[in-house]
Amino acid sequence: MPNPPSRTALMSLYTSMLRTSRSFSSYNFRQYFVRRTKDTFRAIQAEQDPARLSLLYSDAAKEFAVLRRSAIVNQLYGGPRLAVEDEGKERMREGGDT
Amino acid sequence: MLSRLSRNAVQSAAIKNSATRCVAGTSRLFVQPSGADRASIVDVPSSYPDDNHFAPQADMLGFKLDMPQREGKLTEKTRPIYLDMQATTPVDPRVLDAMLPYLTDQYGNPHSRTHAYGWEAEKAVENARKHVADLIGADTKDIIFTSGATETNNMSIKGVARFHKEKKRHIITTQTEHKCVLDSCRKLGEEGFDITYLPVQTNGLIDLQALEAAIRPDTSVVSIMTVNNETGVIQPIKEIGAMLRKHRGVYFHTDAAQAAGKIPLDVNEMNIDLMSISGHKLYGPKGIGAAYVRRRPRVRLEPIISGGGQERGLRSGTLPAALAVGLGEAARIARQEMARDHAHIQKLSNRLIKSIDSQVANVVRNGDVNGYPGCVNLSFAYVEGESLLMALKEIALSSGSACTSASLEPSYVLRALGAAEDMAHSSLRFGIGRFTTEAEIDFVVKHIIGTVTKLRDMSPLWEMVQEGIDINSIDWSQAQH
Repeated sequence: MPNPPSRTALMSLYTSMLRTSRSFSSYNFRQYFVRRTKDTFRAIQAEQDPARLSLLYSDAAKEFAVLRRSAIVNQLYGGPRLAVEDEGKERMREGGDT
Repeated sequence: MLSRLSRNAVQSAAIKNSATRCVAGTSRLFVQPSGADRASIVDVPSSYPDDNHFAPQADMLGFKLDMPQREGKLTEKTRPIYLDMQATTPVDPRVLDAMLPYLTDQYGNPHSRTHAYGWEAEKAVENARKHVADLIGADTKDIIFTSGATETNNMSIKGVARFHKEKKRHIITTQTEHKCVLDSCRKLGEEGFDITYLPVQTNGLIDLQALEAAIRPDTSVVSIMTVNNETGVIQPIKEIGAMLRKHRGVYFHTDAAQAAGKIPLDVNEMNIDLMSISGHKLYGPKGIGAAYVRRRPRVRLEPIISGGGQERGLRSGTLPAALAVGLGEAARIARQEMARDHAHIQKLSNRLIKSIDSQVANVVRNGDVNGYPGCVNLSFAYVEGESLLMALKEIALSSGSACTSASLEPSYVLRALGAAEDMAHSSLRFGIGRFTTEAEIDFVVKHIIGTVTKLRDMSPLWEMVQEGIDINSIDWSQAQH
């Protein structure tokens, strides 16, 4: 029986996946992968069965490798910002420290 | 008069000035105009699109007058947000990641049987084929890669009809099909086939009884799309398939370009004989599609493209390995994410419809309300759709199908639904997809509401409606004097 991943391993994978997701240059991809990473790890957190947990963990680790390469490619070919992003920026400025 | 004189005097003085400087041979600055003696050479032909065009001179040595474009400048411009997912979808980064090895290092021809380059490409293509087959519940061998849904539709309809042309000369389709289906049928009509274009009900669904009544003993193929590209209407494919199964020898083709990967499909449960799938509608690359051609019971069709006999002889030509891998990965991701994507799209769609509905009056949703939530077709009464699109510079939207957006004709799909001409002219299609965010929906709602209100305030028609005049009762033709 495989050992379930430790809490620190999960946390470290989660933080690096989240950081990679945030590094996408395209607004839509960035938002999607941040949302998806949070979703995935919320499901992992709720999982009790250790066998399934290690399966989910290995899936996420595999996805992390794909995500890291994709983020690099996306940064290389990043285009101009979207209209909706600038609006968010202004709102953030108005709101001060957010 | 005096002012003109003095201006001329100043101009001529300037010309003289620069001319003398040129003659003197002092160093010229970047932005200094050349002398009057070469003015005729510099003159730009009138055919140039704008005044900013600058023709280089021989003595410029490759220097340009404008500042070189900096990296930072790119980020200062903004792009409109994309809400046209029915036209095409962005390639998922994970799909691109799966494709890249086959665009760089693993360039083998998947049909090469004699070396490792061919084997690895073939293995990847077969793996992709399996993912596509899994998405629609088919067998791996039933999937044929094509160049897209247009080719697949052509191949399926023309192929089946021509194969059975000795005995069967009748084809049934609907009025709301995609242009490539309708045009394939028109071509077959020229070849002597009988075509029945079934009307649809006002909600966009076809009438099963009308379909059954239209079937003749010599009907060879029935083509009905799963999800409409303009209205998002989902046809009752399962019921149609079950009904058609009772009629022997009638093949059922469905154009599932907008449906595959977005709603659950099963070719066996739905009794589908032929299906079209497009890569770029499910976050895959453009230039690839797939056909499902049933083998048991076998659907026979005449191939359009003849050649080396690849893909069971139905579609000859070397497979684009990278594109096929991209389609496979897109299908795999779509299957894995379908529930999550659908919930996300449903949420955004409800948000869009509710906010627009609550803040703008006289908005009509075209098509069945239980259709695919990622395609919302709204008609804003008393506002012209094209001018609404022009005013919405920061949102990439469309008033209908991309194939027909060049013409100003109202959408034939909406007309088939029984929409009045003015409502068909004022329609907008919102395509919501996997990568659309809530902030984008709020942005769109804000801009739509502002623009619609502004355009209606300008419109005399709207004023008349507010005063309670029935627009249809007005005789617009000018009275004879």
